[in-house]
Amino acid sequence: MSDKGGKGGKSALKSPGYKGKDDNSAKLKGRKVQFDSEDLYDDKFDTNGNGKSNGKDDTSFAKGGKGDKGGKAGKGSAKKEPPPLLLKVEQELPENAKCLMDCEAAQILQGIQEHMVLLSKDPTIKIPSSFDRALQYANRGNHYTNPHSARQVLESLKDQGLSDGEMCVIANTAIESVGEAFGLMPSLKAKKSKVKEPLRSALTELEKLKNVTESNKKAIVLD
Amino acid sequence: MFFHIVLERNMQLHPRHFGRDLREKLVSKLMKDVEGTCSGRHGFVVAITGIENVGKGLIRDGTGFVTFPVKYQCVVFRPFKGEILEAVVTMVNKMGFFAEAGPVQIFVSNHVSFRLLKFHLLLIPDDMEFQSGDMPNYTTSDGSVKIQKDSEVRLKIIGTRVDATEIFCIGTIKDDFLGVISDPGTTS
Repeated sequence: MSDKGGKGGKSALKSPGYKGKDDNSAKLKGRKVQFDSEDLYDDKFDTNGNGKSNGKDDTSFAKGGKGDKGGKAGKGSAKKEPPPLLLKVEQELPENAKCLMDCEAAQILQGIQEHMVLLSKDPTIKIPSSFDRALQYANRGNHYTNPHSARQVLESLKDQGLSDGEMCVIANTAIESVGEAFGLMPSLKAKKSKVKEPLRSALTELEKLKNVTESNKKAIVLD
Repeated sequence: MFFHIVLERNMQLHPRHFGRDLREKLVSKLMKDVEGTCSGRHGFVVAITGIENVGKGLIRDGTGFVTFPVKYQCVVFRPFKGEILEAVVTMVNKMGFFAEAGPVQIFVSNHVSFRLLKFHLLLIPDDMEFQSGDMPNYTTSDGSVKIQKDSEVRLKIIGTRVDATEIFCIGTIKDDFLGVISDPGTTS
């Protein structure tokens, strides 16, 4: 009796001899099919890349560049393209967490740095290296002359269903067009009909708030 | 991405610190214990911005130490899967390149195979090839785009790992609107 467990860990036909034995590896004629006994979560890397996590397959994971699809015939469901990665900030942080744009974080951290200059005279207090790196990163992501105004522009999009995480990505990456926003955030694209025009207006407003040097930077798109 | 968050911690203080500077000593100890640490849930604690509340101290049996519950506000930095951010390349090799975004290290692989993802991912575009030499880099076939040390790249986080002292991420530049932003020397 051949096992027909081509897609799952259990054989489709159970002969009396099996007695419900759950075999994780099924041998077919001329082909070895192996299944991982664990669930699809890597204990080292936490990813959302398994094909079954949310069942969404609306847009392809990579538009311009595609993930490698070939050569995985021997590994169960390898032909499935990974679902688009969605940004889920609110679900993973406590409710009291407030998402900060890089420009806002830069303002806060710069203020703290001035205090730290005084504190650093105390030899028992060491300024962690992560602070300097975070400040440098925040300054690099500081695209706007007035963080408060930038926040107000983006807050107006909350009525259209924009999440805090999406707002911060828009601000931090200085997105210039609606197409870019939808391309970078599949979760935003899902709300396209509702959010397109308000987003376009918001981006126009944000453009006026940008620092002069930012207007000279362009992302180089690799197709 | 940065967050402003309220956290709570039980601080233990030895009786020798008791006195009129008790609160300052408690805050100072909190800063030393917490700033620069990281956790899977909150990410890196970059800086404490304020103390919300210091609760009543409880003497621990047998030791004499006193435990104070302290609520504090802080700025944390935590990467998320699906997040788009701009990072600076720190090292390039034939396996891919490393980049840094704040306190977080990100690796973008030339070729990655996640056993449990059951497919292979190419996270650097197909038309970019590794060039070894004094300044190793990835360059497109026409030479128009180059990724080397100190290049700024926009990438998407696709995986994260946390250990006791740091957060490490896997990223990709293969999707639309990702890639090199600026070359070394042109950053502000």
